[in-house]
Amino acid sequence: MRQVRVQLFGAFSELDPTREIAVDVAGGRVADLRAALQALLPVRWPAFRAGLLEYSAFSDQQRVLRDDDALPDDGRVAILPPVSGG
Amino acid sequence: MAEQDQWMIVDRAGAAIDAAEAIAFVSDPGFGGIDVFIGKVRDLNQGRAVLGITYDLFEPLVMAEFERLVGEVRGQFGPRVKLYVAHAKGRLGVGDTAVVVAAGTPHRDEAFKACRALIEAVKHRSPIWKQEHYQDGDSVWSEGCSLCHLAEGAGPASPPPAA
Repeated sequence: MRQVRVQLFGAFSELDPTREIAVDVAGGRVADLRAALQALLPVRWPAFRAGLLEYSAFSDQQRVLRDDDALPDDGRVAILPPVSGG
Repeated sequence: MAEQDQWMIVDRAGAAIDAAEAIAFVSDPGFGGIDVFIGKVRDLNQGRAVLGITYDLFEPLVMAEFERLVGEVRGQFGPRVKLYVAHAKGRLGVGDTAVVVAAGTPHRDEAFKACRALIEAVKHRSPIWKQEHYQDGDSVWSEGCSLCHLAEGAGPASPPPAA
């Protein structure tokens, strides 16, 4: 089990005023983080629309990650809900 | 950064985006065509009166993505092209400029096409989110394009259901 710090953006930023949450993840892949959040969101934030996770991507500081990518060594990941710039 | 291109994030708390700066940047004695897209905050969204928008950006990734997008458009329309992107950050009011994209090329056709390609890519692929503030006091995060497709199989590419 490792702890991943997840930076929060868009709608996810409302989960915590620090705009970051710590998530315990069993495994070293992005898919493992996704699974951990799928379990955590309905329990810790029952009012949040957890289905948004299904359409959200993850990234490090420089690129969007695939689900089968390894989690970054520095333990920092951003969660990116569907974008709406412009 | 290639000298012929420029991309930036403009914090609205400190400055406003200046479209004239974009035009000056993409100008060149050899360019007869300049196309500029200016995106502004409008006063109505889905029938609801809007007071303003707050833009949230993941800045390091936005800058990396802008560089990639400019590179792709340059690859398609270059080398005789100059490109410019500026996107606002923070709280904007109705009528404020949210984004400016500009392209300068020798002729108008490439300028139109390069500018269109770049603004579409910026809207669909940049990690930027807008929260619309309505006159009735409600604020809602707008959900547009899922980035899952960029991760090639990380998740569904289809847009999310309406909020």
